[in-house]
Amino acid sequence: MTGEPLLSVQGLTVDFRLPAGEMRAVDGVGFDIAPGEVLGIVGESGSGKSQILFSLMGLLAANGRAAGSAQFLGQDLLALTPKALDRVRGVNLSMIFQDPMTSLNPYMRVGDQLAEGLRVHKAMGKREAWTAAVAMLTRVRIPDAANRARRYPHEFSGGMRQRVMIAMALLVRPALLLADEPTTALDVTIQAQVLDLMAEMGREIGTAILLVTHDLGVVARMCDRVLVLYGGRVMEEATAAALFETPAHPYTRGLLAATPRLTDALSVRLGTIPGTPRSGGAMLPGCPFAPRCAVKVAVCETVQPALVAPKDEYLGQIEGRRVACHLVGGAA
Amino acid sequence: MLLEARHLEVGYKIAGAGIFAAARVLPIVRDVSLALEPGRTLGVVGESGCGKSTLGRALIRLLAPSGGQVLWQGQDMAAMTAAELRRQRAAFQIIFQDPVAALDPRMTLGRIVSRPLATFEPGLTRAQLQARAVEALRLVGLSADFAGRYPHELSGGQAQRVGIARALIGRPKLLICDEPVSALDVSIQAQVVNLLMDLQADMGLALVFISHNLGIVRHISHEVMVMCLGRVMERSPRDAFYARPLHPYSRALMDAVPEPDPRREKGRIGRAPEGELPSVLHPPKGCVFASRCPQVQDICRGERPELRDFGKGRQVACHFVEG
Repeated sequence: MTGEPLLSVQGLTVDFRLPAGEMRAVDGVGFDIAPGEVLGIVGESGSGKSQILFSLMGLLAANGRAAGSAQFLGQDLLALTPKALDRVRGVNLSMIFQDPMTSLNPYMRVGDQLAEGLRVHKAMGKREAWTAAVAMLTRVRIPDAANRARRYPHEFSGGMRQRVMIAMALLVRPALLLADEPTTALDVTIQAQVLDLMAEMGREIGTAILLVTHDLGVVARMCDRVLVLYGGRVMEEATAAALFETPAHPYTRGLLAATPRLTDALSVRLGTIPGTPRSGGAMLPGCPFAPRCAVKVAVCETVQPALVAPKDEYLGQIEGRRVACHLVGGAA
Repeated sequence: MLLEARHLEVGYKIAGAGIFAAARVLPIVRDVSLALEPGRTLGVVGESGCGKSTLGRALIRLLAPSGGQVLWQGQDMAAMTAAELRRQRAAFQIIFQDPVAALDPRMTLGRIVSRPLATFEPGLTRAQLQARAVEALRLVGLSADFAGRYPHELSGGQAQRVGIARALIGRPKLLICDEPVSALDVSIQAQVVNLLMDLQADMGLALVFISHNLGIVRHISHEVMVMCLGRVMERSPRDAFYARPLHPYSRALMDAVPEPDPRREKGRIGRAPEGELPSVLHPPKGCVFASRCPQVQDICRGERPELRDFGKGRQVACHFVEG
C-alpha cells in the first residue's frame, strides 16, 4: 500500500463478560485501509467479523470491551470519549447494517431522518437539508423521491430501505463506510442493485468501505483486498485477485471448495470442512482452525501461527499477502 | 410417478379492501404442474414471495389447494380421508429453514426424532422407539449419545441433521426441503447438501429442494423450476438450464448471483436489472416479469405468456423465447 492509511487497526481484541466467564471474540486483529479502498472481512458465524465493526463504531454491547488501537484521521477511535466519537461518526465514519429497520426510526419520515444528519453535523438549515436529502434519495434511485421522502420506513420495500440506509450513510460524504452484511437479507437481483450502488457511490465520493460478509461472491464483486477471519483471528490477508486465484490458508481453501458455483465443472460432492465453527469457549493455545483442519500437524495445536508473508517462493511473490499457518512457509 | 401436481392453485384468505368488504383469496401459487419420480430431485428457485414455500407445503397437503390436484403415487390427495392421509404422511416429509425453531426445546433429541412413530407405527415399545431414533440419528451422522441431548446443545448444522433424522424415521419416499441450508454457514451448508445427496443415493429418496440459492440448486437437482410471483417461468433439466437459461427472468437471476471469481465479477458491477418485483397483492395482468424485463414489448404487459414446450423437457413462459 502506498501513502498513509485512512484507518490503521492494530492488536484489536474484543472481550465479552459472560456468566460463564470471559469470551474473546476478536483476538489481536490488525489491518490498514487506504483512502477509497474496499476491504472485505469474510468469515463464518462466531468469527468475530461483525464485532470488529461494532468496536470501531463504539457500538459494542454493554458487556463487551475493546482493546488495541484504531488510528483514523489522526485519532484513536478506541480511545475517544463518547462525545468525541459522536463527532467522528456523524462526519467521517458511517455504518450500514444487515437489517435497515434497526437503524431507521419507524416514527420519522424518511426525508427528515436524512436531513437530521446534515442539520446536526453540517449545520445546514431546514430547507437546505431537506433539498439535499431528496437529491440523495434520487441519487440512490428511489423513484419519485420528492414524495417518497415524506413517507415512513414501513412504506418502503426491503431493497428500497437498504438504499435509503446507503443514502443516509453517504449523505455526509464520510471517509469510511462500515458495512455489516448489507445485502444478506435481500433477494439476489436486489442484492445486485444494492452492491452496484455501494460501488458506484463509494467511487464517486471517494469513500473507503470496510465490508463484512460471509459471501465469497460478494467479496469477489466488491473488494480490492480481503481478510479471512476464523475464531477471532486473521487467517489470511490478500488482494481479492490473489485470494481467489491461489488461496493459501487451509481454511480459505476449504471455504472456496464448499462454495457452490454456477459455472465450474460439476463435481459429485461439494468440498466440506469437518466439524462446526467455533462458538465461544476458551481460546485455544494453537491455531483456532486446528480442530477442523485436515492438514494439521502437532505444532498447530500448541503454537499460534503468526500472520506473516509466506516464505513459499510461489505465494511469496504476491504482494501484500499474509498467512497465519505453520504449513504455508510461515514462522513455525 | 411418485408425485404429480396438475394445475395447482393455492391461495390465502385475506381481508377485503374496506371494513365491510368480503374476505378474498389472495392467489400465491398459480397453475403449477410438476412430476417427480423416485430418486430424483426437483429444484424450485425464485425470489421471496414467488410462492415456492407455499408450493412445498401444498405438495404434501400441509395446505389445502384452492384448485388443481396433487397426486401421490397416482392417488388424489384431496380424496384421502384424514386418517388415511395421516398414515401416508410417513412417506412424505418436510424439513425447514430454521432448524432450531423446528425442534421442541424441552424434549430430548431421541424423543423428538422418534415422536412421528407414535402416529406412523403405534404400539412400538420404548426400547424399539429408542433403537429407531438412534438408527435415524446415525443415518444423518450423529452418534447415539445425541439421543439424550437437548436442542440447545446443538449447532445450526447439527439441528438441521436432527430435523432430517426426524423426517427419515418413517422411511419416507419424498422429502420436501424448504430452504434447508439458508441459515447455515457455508462449510456446514456443504455438509448438509452432501448428506441429502448420500441419503438419496442410499434410499432412493425423491427431493423437492426449495431454495433461493442457484448454486446449491445446481449442485443437488436433476430438474430445475423457476418461479416468479406464483407462476412457473421455466422448467428444465439441470444441465441445459445452467448452460443456457431461456427465460429472461432466469437469466436475470443467474446474472445477479455473485460468484467467487473476481475476474468475472469486476466486470459485472453496474449491470444489475433496474426496478422491483410487483407486489403479490397486485399481480400484473401480463407477464409478471414485464416491469423488469430488458426485452419487454407491449404484448408482455397486456397478455400473460403461456408455458410453452421447447422439447427435451424444457418449458418456458415467454412470448419471445425461441428454442
